[in-house]
Formats: sequence, C-alpha cells, structure tokens
Amino acid sequence: MKKKLVSAVIAASMVAGLLAGCGSTGADTAAPAAGDAGATKESAAASGDAAAASGDFQLDNVNIIVDGTLTATVDSGQAEFVQQWEAAVSEKLGHPITLNITQLDHSDYSGTVSRTLTTGAPGEEGYPDALIMSATMLRQYQTTGLLWNLSDAYDNAEFQSRIIYPEVNQNLKTADGAQYGFSPTYGNGCVTYLKQSWLDKEGKTVDDIKTFNDYYELLKKYSDGKTYGVIAAGYGKLDEAPFINYMPEWWQGAYPSFYEKDGTWVDGFTEQATIDALARLHQGYVDGIIDPDTEEAGTKQAREKFFSNDQSTSEFAFTYWAGQWLRNLTDNMSKNEVDDDLGDKRLVQLPPVQEIKDTWGGYLNREAPVWVITDDGDGDNTREQAIFDALFDTMLDGDKVQTLWTYGAEDVHWSVKAETFTTNADDPDKKKDYEYADGEFHLKQSPNDPDTIWKKNHLDPVLVIAPLTNGYTDNDPLVQEGNKFFLANCVDAPAAASSETLTANNEDLTTEKTTLMNKAVVGEITPEEAVQTYIDDFGDISATIIEELNAQSAAQ
Amino acid sequence: MSRKQDKLAQQVLGDRKLNKKSLGARMWNCRGYYLMFLPVFIFVLIIYYWPMLGIRYAFFSYKLRDIHWVGFENFKTLFSTSEFWRAFVNTLQLSITKLLLNTFAAVLVSVFINEMANLLMKKTVQTVIYLPHFMSYAVVAAIFTLFLSPSSTGFVNETLKSWGLIDRSIDFLHNKGMWRPIFYLINMWKETGWGTVIFLATLSGINPELYEAADIDGATRLQKVRYITFPALGNTIIVVLILNLAKVLNMFEPVFVLYNSRVYEVSDVISTYIYRKTFLTAIPDYGYSTAVGLFKSVVGATLMLLCNEASKKVRGRGIM
Repeated sequence: MKKKLVSAVIAASMVAGLLAGCGSTGADTAAPAAGDAGATKESAAASGDAAAASGDFQLDNVNIIVDGTLTATVDSGQAEFVQQWEAAVSEKLGHPITLNITQLDHSDYSGTVSRTLTTGAPGEEGYPDALIMSATMLRQYQTTGLLWNLSDAYDNAEFQSRIIYPEVNQNLKTADGAQYGFSPTYGNGCVTYLKQSWLDKEGKTVDDIKTFNDYYELLKKYSDGKTYGVIAAGYGKLDEAPFINYMPEWWQGAYPSFYEKDGTWVDGFTEQATIDALARLHQGYVDGIIDPDTEEAGTKQAREKFFSNDQSTSEFAFTYWAGQWLRNLTDNMSKNEVDDDLGDKRLVQLPPVQEIKDTWGGYLNREAPVWVITDDGDGDNTREQAIFDALFDTMLDGDKVQTLWTYGAEDVHWSVKAETFTTNADDPDKKKDYEYADGEFHLKQSPNDPDTIWKKNHLDPVLVIAPLTNGYTDNDPLVQEGNKFFLANCVDAPAAASSETLTANNEDLTTEKTTLMNKAVVGEITPEEAVQTYIDDFGDISATIIEELNAQSAAQ
Repeated sequence: MSRKQDKLAQQVLGDRKLNKKSLGARMWNCRGYYLMFLPVFIFVLIIYYWPMLGIRYAFFSYKLRDIHWVGFENFKTLFSTSEFWRAFVNTLQLSITKLLLNTFAAVLVSVFINEMANLLMKKTVQTVIYLPHFMSYAVVAAIFTLFLSPSSTGFVNETLKSWGLIDRSIDFLHNKGMWRPIFYLINMWKETGWGTVIFLATLSGINPELYEAADIDGATRLQKVRYITFPALGNTIIVVLILNLAKVLNMFEPVFVLYNSRVYEVSDVISTYIYRKTFLTAIPDYGYSTAVGLFKSVVGATLMLLCNEASKKVRGRGIM
C-alpha cells in the first residue's frame, strides 16, 4: 500500500510538472524584444487593437521587424534608440507608446519573414505591425492581402511638403493606384572600387580606363594565379534585383530577368546580351582574372577578401555599394593596415565604362527597400493608420525622430555637447583626436568599437526623400564624395516584375539561371547552351509570365 | 497472448492454469506501474505524436495564411517532378554507397588496429581516428572547402601546381565527376574511426584459443585474419549494415554543407530538396513540402520494416 501511495504521488507530481510545462505560454518564456532595455513590456497581443475605444484608436505598442540596415543593433545602443524614440513619439502622439524591435539575421531575412507571416496573425506575439521588405519582396507580398494599402495615408502624410524625391514612392503604386510599401530613401547602387596602390604599381590612373577592354587589360596585369583582377559575391546575383550590379562591367547591357523594354516585357535571360555577358565572364574566368571564389562567395566573404591584411591573395577591383561603403571599405583596409600611407585615398571609384554608358547610361540605382504595414483584415483602417502615423510619419519629421532613424540615439551615437575623445589611443600611427564645441553636431565613437566613429543608423541622410530640417549633417567628406559620385553616374534600375506565375516559380527560375550561369562561366557549357537549356526547361513558364506582365501593363 | 506463446506457456506450466484474466483486470492489478508510466505516455503523445497531426497539410495548399484542401494534388505534382525523382535516386545512391564504404573502411581499420602489438600505439591511433567524429559537419565542410578551393588560398591546388602536376586549379567541389568521390572520402575521414568501435569490441571477444590453435597448426598472420578474424566479424557487419539501412533516407547535413547548384544532379537528396522548397522559396507551399516529407517517411518506414524482417532472419531478433 505504501509503495502504491508513493508511486501515485510521484506520478501525480510528474504529470503536474509536465502539464505545467505544456501550459506555459510563449509570452511567459520569451525573451523581451530587442531594444526593450530589459523591461517587461505588455504582450504584443495587446498590440494596439486592444486600445480601441469609442471609435478613437490609441496605439500603445508597435512591433517592427527589421534587417541589418538598422545599424543601432542590440550591441550598439539599440536600447537607447528605442528609449528616445518612445519618448519623442509619445510626446508627439500625446500618449505613451512602446516600440518592440525584432532584428533578423540579414542573410535569411526573407525566409524568416515568410515563416513569421505564415505562422502568426495580427495581434499575436511576434507578429509585426510593420516591417522592412526589399522591392522584390514587396512585389511578391502585395497581392497576398497581408499588407495594408497605405496610399491614402502616404498622400496625406505630414512630410509630403518636404519630399524632394517624390518619384521613389510614386513608382511603388500598382496599376490600380494602391501602394503597399513606403520608402523613406531612394535605392542606392554599386560602384566599382579600385585599389590606388595597385594602379600606382602599373603607373596607371583611373582616367586610363574608358572601355571594358581598357578595364580587362588592366585586370589581366594583376592576375597571376595568386592575386586576381576582381572578386564579387557571385558572377551575377540572380536572386536579388538589380541582379547585375556586383559585376556591371561584365554584364553591360544585359539584364538576366524580366524587365520592360520599349513598353514590352521581355525575359532578359534569353537575350543575346546575356549570351554575350556570359561569354565575357567565361573569358575572365579562363584568363584567371575573376577570383574563382566569386562563385560561392557571399558579400561578406568577398569584401573581407578584398580588404584582407593578406593582399598577396587579394584582388584589385571590387564593385560594392556607393557612399557610406566607400568609408566602410577604407576603414576596414585601415584596420588591416593595408596601404596606410594613402589614408582616405586608398580606393578610387571607377566611372562607368563606355559600354555601360552606351546601354544603361550608368550604374544601376536599385529600387528602394520599403517599409510595409500588416493588414489585420478587419476592414477597419484605424489600427493601420495609427501605425503609419506613429512610425512612418514621424520617421520623416525632419527633426527629433528622423534624427534618431538617421544617426541614432543622442549622446550615444551622436551629440551636440562639447567633448573631446581619441580613437586608436594605443596606436601612435592611427591615433586621432576629436574635439567639438558646444552646439556642434558630431558623431561619437561607435558603442561597440571605440576606435571607429559611428556612421549612421537606418536612414542614409543623403538618400532620404525628405531631408532633415534641424541642420544636423555628417560631414564625412569621403561619404559625401561617394554619394556625389554615384548620383552623377547612376540611372534607375528596371522596375521589378510581379505576376502570379513569377511568384510561384521564382525560386526554380533563379536556381536554374544561377546554375546555368555558373556552368557557362566555368566552361562546362557554352553561353548559348545555357540560354537554350533555360528556354527548354522554363520557356513555357517564361512565356506565361511575360504574357501576364504585358497584360498588366495593358490594363494600366 | 499469441497462440504460439500460449503453447509455449502450456509446455512450461503443464497442468497449471494460465492467467486468463482480462486486460483491464491485469492492468488494474498493476495500476501502480501504469500510473508511474502515465507521465511518460503523455510526454510521448505530446512530443512525438501531437506534431504528427501536421501530416494532414500534405493534402492542403498552404501558402502564407491561405490554407485550402487540394487532396492528392501535391503528390501528383511531386511524382511528376523530375527534380524530386533525381533527389530520391541520389539519396539512395549516396546513402548506400556511403554506408558500404564506411563499413568496409571501419572493418579494415579495426583489423589493422587489432593486429597492433604495441598497446600505446594502438590507443594513440584509436584516439586520433575517433577525433573527426566529434567535429560538426559545418566545420568539416569549412575545412575541406578551404583545403580544396580553386583560388590561391586552396592548399591542394596550390600544392599540385607547385609540383607541376596541374596548370590550372581544379574546382573539386563544383565538378560533377569529382563531387561524389570527395563526398565519400570526407565522410570516410570523419566516420571511419568511430565506426571501428563496434568492430573492435567484437574482435576483443574472439576466443584467443582459436588463434593459439591456428599458431600450432602453423597458420600465418594473414591466414589467421582470413580464417578467424573476418568470419568472427561477419555477423556484426551484417547487423551494422541492417541497422543503418533503415536510416538511408535521413541524409541531410553531410550533403547540405558540401553541395552547390552546379552539382545538384549528383548531390541533391530528398532532405536538401525539401529544405530548398521550404526555406529558400520566397513564399513556400508548406503543403507540398509536407507531401515530400510524408512520402519520404513512408518509404523510410517500409525500409525499416524490411530491415526488421532481415534482422529477425539474421540475428533471430528484430531491431524494433
């Protein structure tokens, strides 16, 4: 009897423990959202909707999902950014509001967003009220009913009177005038950076490179099997518009995806220009000019090899993002003690070669990433409008909140207080003193790296569609030079295509084209065979997509 | 109780009456034990069987929050997709070849180790060859990718070039003809050592008198290996093969970390195919992915049953 009693007690306690474990909700165990400063916040289930009262909606809580473009990460002062955002926006709205940020890994952003939007629902914990999407993602999601049409909200936004690039958001409107994304900046693009010291070695200047042939012949000089002429993250990045921007000199006028040409949609992968581009890439591969690591390299691996401290296995040219990245690449070379004697002149920007000018007209300015608001599908726009007002309208207020999104938190990332500080204090060669007077706007040391100066937060002050009005500007001449160069040498990339069949088959098409491109570049098949194989395998689907796209255009 | 068991019980018990109490009564008699078992039972139900309800999505289209019944449509798509069949065939080819090679290598190495007279050397070799097993596949792949890289940082290519054996780098991991041999080699490097554990245990159980008798008969070392060691390992080899055969469809990590789109033809397996369809597609159809997974599970379960029967025949008892 005693044994039975003991066994009953043990069993009961185990069942109770088990059921208690099952019963605990995610809300009990989930860590606070990034940027929450450790404070326990209300469950996201209360996200706004619960506050609706007698027709007046009060948004108490906004959940956002962001990628790596919010540089104020958890390790870099995100808590302070959130704290100051909440204070500033609460003041504007006249009631308290909290901001919950979920920052996803940049490399699997679209996948994680897809899973989040599949498994959650508005009002549930972890489900975003607003999130960042690439132009391609926007095209894929805008027909799903998950996104809110913010057209009216955008047209009536307070920042409208200050917009200097209205076309950026105009281009986001669909045929029926709906707008599901809001872009606070224009897109930016890539330019080709050359190492000045390598040019010097050959007694050349950037002015000597006018055509692809000039470029190619110069690259050849640096390609000896140890060093290479050029590296990139893929021979073409066929899963991300504008696809050709990491190797523009090689692709020239080719565009290996669907794009509108003279008013008609075409599949660029089937065009002669693509065959020619693949032939150029193949020749570059055969001549040992293109680093073979290009095929598998991600952007991180490619740029790290470019500014590596072992320049004996590095490359001469690298095409990457304009503006801020000129500073980032230069700083990284400095960190690795590469060409220290050249200071900020380590890299030189290559103007578009003649073949790019003759086709596109310049480097491609990609379609801008956007912010979107999720639609709860209740037919009532008050929640969504409140999110727009709290998040997007304030993001471009020209003052306090826009400064937060542009430069980060005051006295953490930037300041107007008098101060002096030193970077690289332990290294006499790199040591630099900074001194600022009271009232002088300046960026501070990075919170996670006191040897570098903070650069920017989410919005690029140069690319933003409605500039700051408080006069706070970062005067880094190198960044300004980079932006100026890009603006002088860029053209808008073709608009991303969107159709039902394309969305359903996009992954298969991308995989097929990438595989064929890689095979053609390394010589497993000829460029003609690559294109023919694609037509054989996906010709019907491609034709259907073109038909759908042209029908959409005709309906506009 | 089956008829066979009844008969056996009758033989053992003779005239004594069999316990013919009902199941309920017998359970009541052992209620204390059943009560203790209850938490485990609930745990198993929740952890192992509750998620299986997701199988139903194989019969749905499941994109974002749009879920609707499509019957066998996902399976029709699946069976008419050449990419899927390619993955299915690759899975079987890669898994079975890997299993045979790894087993063969483990047997061979076990015999060599067993023949070592120097105990210190024997233990050192054992330790060294076990080590790769404890490295994750991600690390192994990173090492071999760097090692075999066609760029100037690739050790193998640079060495071959410096010896004058090749002019141009060989892109080992992107070459359809070379990918599989390299895959098998890497797997043998990683798992052979660990695979020797079971064979060395068997070898240590061989009666030394057999070797002594062979010595008296004038057998050479090779003859002893041929006529005593290998036959002693026979049963273990078969058991190892059968046990692993049931798992041949569960191949993901070793392939995932080494493959690339240029060698899909020879490397893509069912698990990597499911992964791409689910995690690398912008808006995946979870219904289709579930259908592929369900098909794989059904084939896997069939293989398991076949192996169970084979095991019963070889060992006299099943694996389940």
